[in-house]
Amino acid sequence: MNLLDIRNLSIVLKSATNPILAVDRVSLTMKEGEVRGLVGESGSGKSLLAQAIIGVLDEKWHVDADRFHWRGKDLMRLSVDERKAIISKDVAMIFQEPMACLDPTMTIGMQLTEAVDGEQLTGYFWQKNQQRKETAISLLHKVGIKQHKICLKKYPHQLNEALCQRVMIAMALAKRPILLIADEPTAAMESTNQGQIFRLLASLNQLKNMSILLISHDLENVTHWTNTITVMYSGQFVEAGTTKHIFEQPFHPYTRALVDSSPKSNSGLPAKSRLMALPGSIPILQHLPIGCRLGPRCPRAQQACVIAPKVTNYHGHQFSCHFSLKGSY
Amino acid sequence: MLIFTLRRLNLFIFTMFLLTLLSFSLSFLFPGEQLINISGQVNATPKQLMVLAEQYQTDNNIAQQYIAYISHLFQGDLGISMASQLSISNEIMSFLPATIELTLVALFIAMIFGIPIGFIAAIKHRKATDNIILTVSMLGYSIPVFWLGLLAILVFSIQLGWLPSAGQLSLVFEIEHVTGIQFIDILLSDSPYKWQAFQDASAHIFLPACVIALAPATIFVRLARTAMMDVLDSQYIRAAKAKGLSFRQIIYHHAIRNAMVHVIRDVGLQFANLVTIAMVTEVIFSWPGIGRWLIESIFQRDHTSIQGGLLALSSFIFIVHIVIDFIYAALNPLARESRNGA
Repeated sequence: MNLLDIRNLSIVLKSATNPILAVDRVSLTMKEGEVRGLVGESGSGKSLLAQAIIGVLDEKWHVDADRFHWRGKDLMRLSVDERKAIISKDVAMIFQEPMACLDPTMTIGMQLTEAVDGEQLTGYFWQKNQQRKETAISLLHKVGIKQHKICLKKYPHQLNEALCQRVMIAMALAKRPILLIADEPTAAMESTNQGQIFRLLASLNQLKNMSILLISHDLENVTHWTNTITVMYSGQFVEAGTTKHIFEQPFHPYTRALVDSSPKSNSGLPAKSRLMALPGSIPILQHLPIGCRLGPRCPRAQQACVIAPKVTNYHGHQFSCHFSLKGSY
Repeated sequence: MLIFTLRRLNLFIFTMFLLTLLSFSLSFLFPGEQLINISGQVNATPKQLMVLAEQYQTDNNIAQQYIAYISHLFQGDLGISMASQLSISNEIMSFLPATIELTLVALFIAMIFGIPIGFIAAIKHRKATDNIILTVSMLGYSIPVFWLGLLAILVFSIQLGWLPSAGQLSLVFEIEHVTGIQFIDILLSDSPYKWQAFQDASAHIFLPACVIALAPATIFVRLARTAMMDVLDSQYIRAAKAKGLSFRQIIYHHAIRNAMVHVIRDVGLQFANLVTIAMVTEVIFSWPGIGRWLIESIFQRDHTSIQGGLLALSSFIFIVHIVIDFIYAALNPLARESRNGA
């Protein structure tokens, strides 16, 4: 059974004159214990998708889906409050810029004890405060912060980004989530700290069988840590499959271009020659192309691309392209 | 925190220096003789004037004159009033507490109504509640205070007869003048009618304080609304939502505290405005405060009193500023540290 099964999720930016389809019928499935990467350029709607899953988008966005199942339960049929209760119990999210995600006027200790789920505590109300504190300390230990006494008394601005991200992960762990959505958790971080955070996430996945949806703009970075990858472009679904398939035999021209543009595959090029990259840039939301949104930039585009292609499944490797690279391998 | 305190102290000393410099220069800028302007001795004989010139060192250079003026200030000697020939420092000591009392009560009223209403407007952003609050606050801000004061007297004192229209306390109560702040004096006194006096004083202060509070309260509504909207839009509120906290928890635990940080900083700025409004209101309500005294001095061309009154009022405003800065630092951990540290 799939943990999370989303089919054709669309997100519309509501406006009086012309509503904008920011995310166009994207599907996403996650199995239990899986680490899935969600990859795309900035502005491809991956953060929106994550925020739609967890339900923190505000009123100007309208979310619609054909299917939204969480562990076999159809969330579309539940009311907003019931959906929120289920999601916030089982799904946790960490964001980019962790320092901005912590309340600047409260100590880490206060925020961490607040995140502790009251239902997990056993004991009378006068014992609960102490228990909360102990839970908070053990949470800090779980994310590898040993000097809990110092850390609990600090304010967010007194810690560095990596430590703040660890605290955010500790808060996410307080609910004992089944799925952790990590929205570019290492953006604006040094590479040593990046490695630490990724290793921490990997160990949580292995030890606690926690599924992780890892959102990133860097395909190469993500491949070390994920089992499967979903690629998005400009709010549209591009390709999904195992990391090995995506990286070695991408079927979609966009994924091919992403793989080719990584520094590693460019390392064999002679000096001063052009690097591999797609021409142009991602379209802005006000001027989206019709059909396949990659059309104007795609090297294989033909007339048929003005109609958006349907998702094709080939041995569990899904892609949406009229002129895929499937035959070329 | 020590550095923060030292910095505020430093600022206080420097501002006081500038203020005294201004008030000293006023004695030259006002028409008439400088020595008489600074001392207020309008009826002095030539012999007395010689003594005064010696005291204020008018024959020496300007720096020594200023130092002489400062040393007079430190002795609590602000000269005597040109109109009434009474000691100005005594006059200020008897009038300033009433103003302190009135302005602080008004500030309190403005804050406890203005800030929560602003928060409600921000939470109900773009709904009918928000629009109504904004419209009413615009209206409240536009009403001139002298007209509002007269209207309030007309309605609540004369037509309805609920509240007294003038003065600080009914004449039937005899309260000894200890601190000058009426409420503290009443509580300190051993009159058997203490509580009746307290009620009477509350009834007297209520109307003028509300009139003063209206304009600042509407500004607080707008400040609080903007601050709360900024906070509700921030990343940590979104993270708190993702954490699964209820809306009530988010507002009470995270949003209010952070929004207060922004509001408190501007409260200090608004206080000077509030004191100006209080001066006009004191005249309307015959409140025995320093504002009314100062306006009367201006009418009487009483230059010495104007200098002293300005000095006293501006140092009061400045002290309130510093106190509010400390409250701001208590709320905001970022302000407590030096900028470049950590």
